[in-house]
Amino acid sequence: MTLEAVSFWVVAAALVASSLAVVLTPNLFHAVLYLAAALVATGVVFLLLDSPFLFGVQLLLYAGGVVTIVVFAIMLTERLVGERIAQTSRYVVHGAVVAAAVFVGVAGFLIQVPLGGPRPSLPGDLTPVIGRALVGPWAATLELLAVLLVVALLGALYFARTED
Amino acid sequence: MDLGVRAPLLVLGLPFAAFLVLAVVAPLRRAGRAAGAVSILAAAVAHVAALGVWRDGARRTATWAWIPADGGPMATVGLLVDPLSSAMLVLVTLVSLLVQVYSLAYLGDERAPALGRYYTYQSLFAFSMLGLVLSPSFVQMFVFWELVGLCSYLLIGYWYERPSAARAAVKAFWITKLGDLGFVVGIVMLWGATGTFEFQALFTKAQEHALAIEGLGTIMFLIYLGAVGKSAQFPLHVWLPDAMEGPTPVSALIHAATMVTAGVFLVARAQPLFALTPDVLTLIGWVGAFTALLAASMACVEGDIKRVLAYSTVSQLGYMMAAAGAGAAYASVLHLLTHGLFKALLFLGAGAVIHVVGTNDIFRMGGLFRVMPQTGVLFIVGTLALAGLPPLAGFFSKEAVLAGVWEARMTWPFLMLALTAFLTAFYMFRVVFIAFFGRALAPGHPHEAPWLMRGPLWLLAVLTVLVGLRLGLAGGDAHHGPGWLAPASVALALGGILLAWATYQRGVVDPARLAGTFPLSLLDFLARRRYGLDALYDGLYRGFILGFSRLIGWIDRYLVDGVLNFLSAWTLRAGDLVRRIQSGQAQDYVYGVAFGVLLLFVWAQWWRR
Amino acid sequence: MSLYGYLTLAALVFAIGLFGVLTRRNAIGILLGIELMLNAVNINLVAFARFRADVAGLVFTLFTISITVAEVAVGLAIVIAIFRVRRTVEADRLDLLRG
Repeated sequence: MTLEAVSFWVVAAALVASSLAVVLTPNLFHAVLYLAAALVATGVVFLLLDSPFLFGVQLLLYAGGVVTIVVFAIMLTERLVGERIAQTSRYVVHGAVVAAAVFVGVAGFLIQVPLGGPRPSLPGDLTPVIGRALVGPWAATLELLAVLLVVALLGALYFARTED
Repeated sequence: MDLGVRAPLLVLGLPFAAFLVLAVVAPLRRAGRAAGAVSILAAAVAHVAALGVWRDGARRTATWAWIPADGGPMATVGLLVDPLSSAMLVLVTLVSLLVQVYSLAYLGDERAPALGRYYTYQSLFAFSMLGLVLSPSFVQMFVFWELVGLCSYLLIGYWYERPSAARAAVKAFWITKLGDLGFVVGIVMLWGATGTFEFQALFTKAQEHALAIEGLGTIMFLIYLGAVGKSAQFPLHVWLPDAMEGPTPVSALIHAATMVTAGVFLVARAQPLFALTPDVLTLIGWVGAFTALLAASMACVEGDIKRVLAYSTVSQLGYMMAAAGAGAAYASVLHLLTHGLFKALLFLGAGAVIHVVGTNDIFRMGGLFRVMPQTGVLFIVGTLALAGLPPLAGFFSKEAVLAGVWEARMTWPFLMLALTAFLTAFYMFRVVFIAFFGRALAPGHPHEAPWLMRGPLWLLAVLTVLVGLRLGLAGGDAHHGPGWLAPASVALALGGILLAWATYQRGVVDPARLAGTFPLSLLDFLARRRYGLDALYDGLYRGFILGFSRLIGWIDRYLVDGVLNFLSAWTLRAGDLVRRIQSGQAQDYVYGVAFGVLLLFVWAQWWRR
Repeated sequence: MSLYGYLTLAALVFAIGLFGVLTRRNAIGILLGIELMLNAVNINLVAFARFRADVAGLVFTLFTISITVAEVAVGLAIVIAIFRVRRTVEADRLDLLRG
């Protein structure tokens, strides 16, 4: 087993475990922490896929930004870090069956498709290539995204403002 | 525009201006008598101008493009002034003026707004009728033709609060529309065949024998149908007696002197075209003569003075049509003009009687001659003219008609008309003897009508006599028939008068027994039921139209509505069933999305192959 | 490690996220599930980009991450607004749209 395979299995196990913890733990606050762990694990997966730039983005935006926002939201809606922070689940069996069915479906398709083959070698650092692609062929999309972010910002402000 | 066109334009424009003023300026219209003054003033000036046009006597035409089309206008509007139309101008403006003056007194008790409405309609009618007379083309004529029909409808229904008047107005409108349908189809077909509506162009073509088109007979027959409706010819005559629900002056103007003669005018105007289709002309002659006889027989049994006059009008229109059909357009128009004078006189006289007695029933009048001698004398003058005794106007025109029909070798129509002449004298003097000399006493305190009413009567009577004298002096006309005709027609009239005198004045002949003897009893039976025509139309209307409407109503109520109600009910039920899917909980919808994805998997895996 | 491994891992994480979305009562919990699902998608994109040597997948991942951040911001703002009005963020009690 190569080092790459070993690290993949380790990271995969961590990712699945922390994901399950996110959806299963009764404590909402803990769930958020597990989510942060899962996001970091995902970032490591990116690293395994030779994308250090995306790893950085993942850490900064997701693990940093999103988790912080969620924690704020929990603080605002649950008032006290106490009994009420516990959350419950509904129809666990139904959900499990449907989710499993979806997984089996996707996996079923996966094994039917010839996807094998070695990973091609990289020409070098991909980050400059991403940068050029962003302002080259995807420049218009990037601008649209900027607009979307502004709109989302305004929308979030509007929804969250107090009524006075 | 030269001076010659301005005068007829003035004649046409004044009533229209009066109508516009009365229609737009509501306070003036609601003032009633003031509105009448405006309308009368317009009619008077128009009459003077019409006299000028008539004396001038020149033929003039003026047209303006109307409907634009490639290669010149498709239709024009304009004026056509010739002896025929200028004579009609004089008649229409004169009777119109006198009737409007008369109405001031006759309708004096009306509320002011209603009186204003009446004069508004009167002005509109005068305008429409003059426009019809002056039309240089079939299209313009048709437009004014419908306008006079509208005015007739409005004026018959003047007392629209009365159900009978409203019904009569609708009946008159629809039955004349029946004929108008033929008229308009005929005009359009004629245009399709020749490419023009203009009388002048059509007549020129007719003279050059360039009008030998396929189906000209049908076209002229269809155009004649319009005249049948308007001039109350058999079998569309049923609306005219009912039209007597309108005020009496209206009957005098529209349903005796002017509008109903529009059909005769049409046939006379289009005479060069009708001359090309002798079959249609013969039909016109026969229908005219038959109408004359039929209406006269109905007049003999009628007890309502206005309806007697109405049937008499139908009968005299039959005379005119018969003359037109015999090719004697001159006689037809002459009778039209003289009849316009003395029939207006008779109607206005009858109106004077009705005004003071308050009933239409001649059997409830009586001895009126003693209390209103002036009206009596005037009515008798009109009656003598209608009966056709010299030297009154009716004698000469009626004789011209009879001569024309005789010379056209239409023996049976001639005999019918001769019999009608006898009946005319009989039924008119029946009215005179019963109403003016009868022993029954009129209710109330009858007295002479006011001067506003008697003035027009006098004028019309004097004109009837004068026109008669003038025609008699002009004498040696080419239109005289055989020598025995004049004495024979006088004899027929006198015979009718004598019979009426013997029956209703002396009592020598019992009217009931006269009506009871065999061939007459059958006729009496039929005439009293109006030969079943009204009942027939009624039945057709009820059975056919109402039945059809009921069928449509059933379909609408039970089929169309039923389907819609069924659909809406089931939409509600289905919606009730399906709404339970909408739990309102976001996660249930996520389940829906998940199931959709699974379905997509299944489809991609198995069904797609 | 081949592409299969990464894709299967992503599918597994996606299913887990779906399970969370389907079963959580708390609106914030549901949002966490959605985050997991989006992450799975990102893994897919990056894996394909790497194995096909196509930079478009990486660019798409960047876009997805940014959009996710925006979505989270708006979603949480809505949750807070709902909480202000209804004093709860339990998803099963928010059924104003029930037919």
